[in-house]
Amino acid sequence: MKWKKFAVVASLSVLGLLLAYAIGEMPSFGSKNTPDKLHVIPRYLQKSEEEAGAKNIITGVILNYRGYDTEGEVTVIFSALCAVVALLGREKRRLSRSGVDAAGKPTSVIVNTVVRFLVPIILFFAVYVMLHGEDSPGGGFQGGAVVGASIIIFTLAFGLPKSTEKIPLGFRIPLESIAVFAFLSMGFLGMLFGVNFLTFILPGLSHELAHTVRFLMLSFIEVGIGVAGGIIFTSIVFSMIREDEYELQPDLSQS
Amino acid sequence: MSVSSFPILLTAIPLSFAALCPIWGMWKKEACFPWSVAGVSATAFISWALVSKFSAVGTIGYKVGGWAPPWGIHIRIDFIGMLLAVVISSAGLLILIYSWRYIVHEVEEAKIPYYYTLYLLIFAAMLGFSITGDLFNLFVFMEIFSITSYALVAVSGEGKALRAAFKYLLMGAVSSITVLFSIAFLYSVIGSLNMLDISKRLPNTPYVVVVNTALALFTAAFAVKAAVFPVHMWLPDAHSIAPSPISAILSALVIKMGVLGIFRVVFTIYGHGFPSTSNLWSSLCGFVSWAAAFSIVIGSSMAIIQRELKVMIAYSSVAHIGYILLGICMLAPRGMTGGIFNIVAHAMGKACFFLVAGSLIYKHNMKRIRELRGIGRTMPVTAGAFAIASLSIVGLPPSAGFMAKWYLLWGCFQKGRYVFVAMVLLGSLLSAIYCFRVVYYMFFTGPRLHTQKVDEVPPSMYVPAALLSLGTLVLGIYSTPLISAINKFVGSLPVK
Repeated sequence: MKWKKFAVVASLSVLGLLLAYAIGEMPSFGSKNTPDKLHVIPRYLQKSEEEAGAKNIITGVILNYRGYDTEGEVTVIFSALCAVVALLGREKRRLSRSGVDAAGKPTSVIVNTVVRFLVPIILFFAVYVMLHGEDSPGGGFQGGAVVGASIIIFTLAFGLPKSTEKIPLGFRIPLESIAVFAFLSMGFLGMLFGVNFLTFILPGLSHELAHTVRFLMLSFIEVGIGVAGGIIFTSIVFSMIREDEYELQPDLSQS
Repeated sequence: MSVSSFPILLTAIPLSFAALCPIWGMWKKEACFPWSVAGVSATAFISWALVSKFSAVGTIGYKVGGWAPPWGIHIRIDFIGMLLAVVISSAGLLILIYSWRYIVHEVEEAKIPYYYTLYLLIFAAMLGFSITGDLFNLFVFMEIFSITSYALVAVSGEGKALRAAFKYLLMGAVSSITVLFSIAFLYSVIGSLNMLDISKRLPNTPYVVVVNTALALFTAAFAVKAAVFPVHMWLPDAHSIAPSPISAILSALVIKMGVLGIFRVVFTIYGHGFPSTSNLWSSLCGFVSWAAAFSIVIGSSMAIIQRELKVMIAYSSVAHIGYILLGICMLAPRGMTGGIFNIVAHAMGKACFFLVAGSLIYKHNMKRIRELRGIGRTMPVTAGAFAIASLSIVGLPPSAGFMAKWYLLWGCFQKGRYVFVAMVLLGSLLSAIYCFRVVYYMFFTGPRLHTQKVDEVPPSMYVPAALLSLGTLVLGIYSTPLISAINKFVGSLPVK
């Protein structure tokens, strides 16, 4: 065993030294005129607003220039959800052995009241973050994380039965796939108009109209990512909560 | 939508079917199977339609979002991408049809919609991985098929399956993060993510160390995904414990993605020869071919000593990845032909093996090789499919596996690597032992009563297995078109 541990440490140190050496050879952080800043980035910096339709350059890159990658990333989140559901099942089932153990325990009046006040405000902020992704920091993924956080806080304070009552399974399942669906439907919409997949400037429209349509399409995708992200986080947490935790003390969360 | 937009449909169709699959499952669980068959067969149709276009015009490109290559993502279907897309979509369809009756056996009813969703996702991700021309896009699709395959290994929910999936997850996650590291290294000094653009800009870069590190890390990481000898430990567990259709997908297709990753890095990106990296490049190819040769010998010897059928088949996959990578990394033209041909031959043979093993589990819950006595008489189609496929896995004429090994040995002789010749022959001898032992138990032992009735699995299970095994024969007999196409492709690569 000792020999094994030594071998692991030795090989990891060799790898670490190699990586450190390679990082030392990289252009130093933040320096000007390195190859990565001279090739594709100038076009993103100068033309993103006009070409990609987003004042926030990062949004322009992730939704428009490299939208196909983002479609893939959204699919990664969706596959993570499918993986969790395929292993643990949906909530209200006795299959899982791990999870958020503390969930569903009765909390104090103070916590309940504060959460009751906070949740709508957090959700409101989430919508702001999603919709303002075009011209300020934020966007769908961040907004979705905030949505998920608000629902998870609510669940921790009031227990699983109460939150599944508010957002039932039949409501969540269609929304979980809405991000992938939003990307694909916008892509197919472009193809119906005869341009390539995920092109947001549709031909045959006037200049003004095409820009408005592009704004609407990008916003639809942002909101889709946000809603689906939030719901997926929620569903994953719900799957991980053990049922027997709240069965012991049914109605204490009301008090 | 014209043929020009077909490349994107290869991923867009299965992804949209996957996104809607849980919603169908909410309405009616039985609807998920026809729904996914519709998606997968539409995709298979499109991949075959692309073949006819490919043979007319050659490499097919598609600009996603209409952006020109270095700025946007470019889908580029070259020969090996096209080949893998056809193999994935055709084998994927057969395995999906097989899994309809089988999966009820191993997966709880409530989880079945998610089984089909994960299946469509892994299918779409492998197609996207094969056809993309963009390095980061490659990583994104690699993440999707990795995550879905961890989940699919564990989908039965048994403790053993969870442990195997966790082992697979640990190794796979390290390899994924290594790929991401290498992409970051490469991007920081090249400034581009498009593979062709990178390979054009590589010769002029002054950051030789960074570029070399990226090459070494890429190769190591994809070697884990391909399960070559020193890093193959996850494969036997994961592939033998997963539900049989999933074992078939993993062994026939998913490990080929690691091979394709190595191919993309070594040939598409770094292959166009420039002095600063060529030293490391050729020694890396030498290293990988030695590792591949060892996985042939070690995989085959481990397969011999197994008692369980599926574990034996899984070890045989380690050996076959060795044949493929030995062919590709030996840098001999004929060997390369053999390696690429073996991707197809092994996909069909190994998928058939796992489907047969699954049928035996489904019908009689037989897992050990000794229990298979006389199965050839009660399940003639299933056992016959195994026997024909084992010709290809061993590499006997007239099967496809024979052509693959023939060209591989030709390549070894071209390069004068007689050690590799010996290792390949030894591997074939060992594989004859482990395959024909099973065939022997199936056909030549057990009660010789003629009163035994034929008791087959449902047709949806034996037909895919039989088709795959016939495929190995047909491909072996009519191998000329594919071989000449591969030879033409190999001619464009930097191997002499």
